[in-house]
Amino acid sequence: MNDSVGARAAPAGTAFRVLVVDDDADMVAFLAMLLHKEGLRVETASDGESALASIHASPPDLVLLDVMMPGTSGFEVCRRLKSEEGTALIPVVLVTALEDTQSRVRGIEAGADDFLSKPVKREELVARVKTLRRLHETRKELESRRLAAEVQRKEAVRKAFSRYISPRLAERIADGGEQGNPFQGRAQRTNLVALFADLRGFTRMTEKTEVVSVVGMLNEYFGVLTDAAYQNDGTIFNMAGDSLLVGFNVPFPQADAAARAWRTALDMVERFAPVASDWQKRHGLALGVGIGICTGEAIIGNVGSEHYANYTIIGNPVNTAARLMQLAAAGEVLLCGPMYERIRHLVSGHTVEGRGDVTLRGRSEPIPVYAVRAAARAAA
Amino acid sequence: MTQNPLTVTVAKDLEDLIPVFMTNRNKEVETLRGALTAGDFEQLKQLGHRMKGVGRSYGFVTVSEIGKRVEDAAAKSDRGAIGACIAEYADYLARVKVVYE
Repeated sequence: MNDSVGARAAPAGTAFRVLVVDDDADMVAFLAMLLHKEGLRVETASDGESALASIHASPPDLVLLDVMMPGTSGFEVCRRLKSEEGTALIPVVLVTALEDTQSRVRGIEAGADDFLSKPVKREELVARVKTLRRLHETRKELESRRLAAEVQRKEAVRKAFSRYISPRLAERIADGGEQGNPFQGRAQRTNLVALFADLRGFTRMTEKTEVVSVVGMLNEYFGVLTDAAYQNDGTIFNMAGDSLLVGFNVPFPQADAAARAWRTALDMVERFAPVASDWQKRHGLALGVGIGICTGEAIIGNVGSEHYANYTIIGNPVNTAARLMQLAAAGEVLLCGPMYERIRHLVSGHTVEGRGDVTLRGRSEPIPVYAVRAAARAAA
Repeated sequence: MTQNPLTVTVAKDLEDLIPVFMTNRNKEVETLRGALTAGDFEQLKQLGHRMKGVGRSYGFVTVSEIGKRVEDAAAKSDRGAIGACIAEYADYLARVKVVYE
């Protein structure tokens, strides 16, 4: 049974709500009457299970809980309330005829906030309820301030990081997951996938187009590329001139980092195709995206001085991706050998050309290189 | 001024609750008798415990005192003592007068 008897008290939603739990109807009526007189809204339950159901459905501000009830005891109800996050902060007063120390100890162990002995003295009941009401309201106020501060902090973190990483990753940092803010960690070696993209024909574009138009076009181009990177949860490490460096498996682990990088490359080529087509019509420029991707071990961390630093990735896969990008034609994705091996099951349907072992500028040893042309690239 | 020991003074704001309270106490006597006949000392202990808590809360000190004795006697499975308590309880309820102030 669980019936509200608080209709005569202050309006629902504004009054302090007390749940009285006792299997003795006379005790319930007695406590409810006294609490009503104090202007409190009273609800009642006659056993432990219906009390728990009522509390979960609509948490009260205070629970007056009898200890000795048939079925689930008051100790057990209290213990369960205090062990659950959603109900742990609701003050619980154990009301019992038991006056021995052992029962009090059991109550404390169950998490009770206070005790009231039967027979109940009305002055004592009112005083204890008033005190707990004050404490509870202070606690709620502090909690609401803490929540407001937390929302503010998350918003600040989201704003700070959303220019570098996808909104989803920014959300994870704001939520405090992934061991907090990875950008404050020490430099470390890690396996990653580096993707470099740039604009084929950019130099010609800057020569033939007004500066104002160039900036607008670059913004449009980077808008397309960053959308593709964020769509696949890539992290942008560098944007210079017309080139963009995107990392995967950094700063957060991504078991499917290679597949994400490959999808990003496809998205970049496909999404830029209509933009390039429009530029061709408006400016007579033939432009396209060239992409290089490589995977391997590299260093990730903050590099720079006390006054200026970049959170960046450094190492062979990054250098190799940059060289591959320089070699890539418009709409072409060049992959180093290890990268190709990791995504070869994904490239069926696209045109793959093995370029054999290629000695890249700055490298002494030749490496295997694969060129992939996506079907959608033809529009570029 | 000497007060009749079978007169109980109850707070005025409890007046509306007293008729139901008295009805429940009389039912309780029957329940106690049934439990004694069945030899259910656990139930007797619980009933005594409940009487102890609710009686004095309403101002009925005697109800709490008899409840304590029932609870203690039930813990010892003392049929004789419990029977005496029930008889005393029934007699008390038959004669008690309530005044409100």
